[in-house]
Amino acid sequence: MSAGAARVDRRRLAQPNGWWGAALFIATEATLFGTLIATYYYLRFNATQWPPPGVEHPKVALPLILTAILVATTVPIFFAVRAARAGSARLAWLLFLVAVVVQAGYLGVQVHEFLSELDKFSPHDSAYASIYFTMIGAHHAHVVVGIAIELWVLWKLLGGLTNYRMIGVRVAALYWYFVNFAAVAVVLTQVYPSL
Amino acid sequence: MTTALRPDALRRVERLGRIWEDRPGVLGWLTTTDHKRIGLLYLFTSLAFFAAGGTEALLIRTQLIVPNGSTLSPAAFNTTMTMHGVTMIFLFVIPISTGAFGNYLVPLMIGARDMAFPRLNAFSYWVFLGSGLFIYAGVFTGHGPNAGWFDYVPLASRTYNPSSAIDFYALGLIFNSISSTAAAVNFIVTIFKMRAPGMSLNRMPLFCYAFLAVSFALVFALPALSVDCAFLELDRRLGFSFFDPAHGGDVLLWQNLFWIFGHPEVYIIILPAFGIATSIIPTFTRRRMVAFPMVALAEILVAFIGFGVWAHHMFSVGLSTITTVYFAAASMIVVIPSAIQLFAWLTTLVTGRPIFKTPLLWIIGFIVFFIIGGLSGIMFAAIPFDQQLTDTYFVVAHFHFIIFGAAVFPLLGGLYYWFPKVTGRMYHEGVGKLSFWLSFLGSALAFFPMHIVGLLGMPRRVYTYSPQVGWAPYNLAESIGAYILAAGLVLLVANLVVSYFRGAPAPADPFGGTTLEWSTSSPPPPYNYAVIPTVTSAYPMWDVEDREEDVRKLDRGEMVLEEGHETPASTVLDANLDEVLDMPSDSPWPVVSALMITGIFAMLLTGHLIAMCIFLALFALSLGAWHGVEPQEA
Repeated sequence: MSAGAARVDRRRLAQPNGWWGAALFIATEATLFGTLIATYYYLRFNATQWPPPGVEHPKVALPLILTAILVATTVPIFFAVRAARAGSARLAWLLFLVAVVVQAGYLGVQVHEFLSELDKFSPHDSAYASIYFTMIGAHHAHVVVGIAIELWVLWKLLGGLTNYRMIGVRVAALYWYFVNFAAVAVVLTQVYPSL
Repeated sequence: MTTALRPDALRRVERLGRIWEDRPGVLGWLTTTDHKRIGLLYLFTSLAFFAAGGTEALLIRTQLIVPNGSTLSPAAFNTTMTMHGVTMIFLFVIPISTGAFGNYLVPLMIGARDMAFPRLNAFSYWVFLGSGLFIYAGVFTGHGPNAGWFDYVPLASRTYNPSSAIDFYALGLIFNSISSTAAAVNFIVTIFKMRAPGMSLNRMPLFCYAFLAVSFALVFALPALSVDCAFLELDRRLGFSFFDPAHGGDVLLWQNLFWIFGHPEVYIIILPAFGIATSIIPTFTRRRMVAFPMVALAEILVAFIGFGVWAHHMFSVGLSTITTVYFAAASMIVVIPSAIQLFAWLTTLVTGRPIFKTPLLWIIGFIVFFIIGGLSGIMFAAIPFDQQLTDTYFVVAHFHFIIFGAAVFPLLGGLYYWFPKVTGRMYHEGVGKLSFWLSFLGSALAFFPMHIVGLLGMPRRVYTYSPQVGWAPYNLAESIGAYILAAGLVLLVANLVVSYFRGAPAPADPFGGTTLEWSTSSPPPPYNYAVIPTVTSAYPMWDVEDREEDVRKLDRGEMVLEEGHETPASTVLDANLDEVLDMPSDSPWPVVSALMITGIFAMLLTGHLIAMCIFLALFALSLGAWHGVEPQEA
């Protein structure tokens, strides 16, 4: 079954419909992050002091290291797709599992950080905190969705590859490339006042 | 078309019918993934909202017919005026143009059997229905949105608008944009990937170019609105400070984000009208569209430039001079692609042999109104003029000529034009012409005096005015015009309803149309085409040999694709046949997951976060069940 799906995938002249659909969905999601980041700088250039008085500057090292770990999961995902397209559902499954474990760990640490920062400064008090927590929260939501998609892929791959699941694997990977790219854009915006 | 089929061909056609048929009854409509049925659902729903929005318009005009009117209280006027705008834009024009016309016609015009994602298509419809009912639930519980359709803060902030009226607005629009985004993605992939073999991009109907441009504009414009509404909800419900200047926020942030969405939105509204005009004009002038590639590029250019002009809605808020000058210049550039299309239509009309049937009359009405509204639009690009007349009835006049005259007239003409195709019956020509003239004269009388009363200084959105200011005769004329317009529209609906039951049977191609949808029977069978057509020019219906070849292919069983729910996919640019797709058939999960989303938004509105999480989990489960059926199973 898996080999048949790989053959169909190779025979195609154009990207499949599912790939196009995901690419366009990602385009609209990227616009969403673009809007959030644009809002951040819009508010920043309206302010005389950024972050506002009484709010400490954002940490630099920890967010950057965490993001680097998240972005590193691009590698197993990339090879998972190659494995799937070569017809090996089992190897793809293992590589996705590696990615999802790392991403879940990342999310755990990030959520912990998020909550402890909420105790220190509140979105009630400043536009800075409002956009800060909204932007990072939006990023976390995307990580959660990405993990959910991967868990679905892992569950489906247990039954081998079909054409439908092959497209699912490629779409899940595409989505994660985007989440990782957005993570870099968000973290650079987040640490920018301390640079 | 089905006359004198050979036994082999007849057997194939019957087999296709069995494969593609929906379940009978209500259940069939709830679970359908047939683009034509979904298009009809969109049509009936958006027409119902059109009736609601029209009633609101008549209430407004009745209130303003005389000075010191007392039909509506000031609060009721605010809600009526806001809901008129919200309904007409989000619940009527967009869903009827993309949802109804696009859904029904795009797959037919490109020779496909369905949209690229049939289940997502059903999902878009049910989410649209849910969002419309959600927003109207506010009206019926006495919390109708009341801060104008663009809902400026601080008027929309919790301080000045403590009831849940604005929450219905903000959450309702986020809800609504889920539907529009899904539909837009679906259209782009359908147009890119599902075209019949041989329909390379340069042979694609201009109608599809218009819908492609609209869909791209939606994909990139809607996030700005959703983010803006999310900020507003965070401010209102959780006390964030995006729009609160006391804590470093900025009220103009709302306006900027709103118009980054809102101006592309204007072109999203009008581009389908352009697409319909470029379908109707060649048919009724018996010639090819003049400057086909220029018109195609102009359609895309309009959508693109639309993203760079948003601040011309904000000339009077105190932006820096350099900013306003840039946006004034950018706004004037829009004239170029608009004029390219306008002159292409006019040249086609003048150099062809026009047959003035009802659909063409609506298009001519559209051209007249588009010129009037376009000219007043150019005036607004001049900054001092805009600063003088912003927020007066002159603006109302301008955008009603554009949004009603130019955007809705072709939709109504399109209703007549494709009515025989959809129902298999002819409309009544005489009543059709009468409904056009009533609507045309009614619109002119309703909207033209608004220019004058605007120049006299009447501000928009006022619930009444004093008899001393001299606005009364104009307002009286506008209200009479609105009633005449309403009579014309009622006549249109009556014509179509009566014709549906009593009209003469329509042949497959009653007007000598140019595009593929006229090659199949009226109404089209569930599988659209017994043989997937092969296209060799931009006017496939005029390639008689090709269409005769389709019939012979049916005898031979070529390109019938009768093994299952099948339709071909092709390459993006050249439309070379790539693979045969096994499409999903009817599914209950789109409507179920849309119901779960409705639950999520209802719980967000009422603040039951735990219940919201339960609906979220149920939504995820229904998505899982949705993907449990794998139509492309090898």
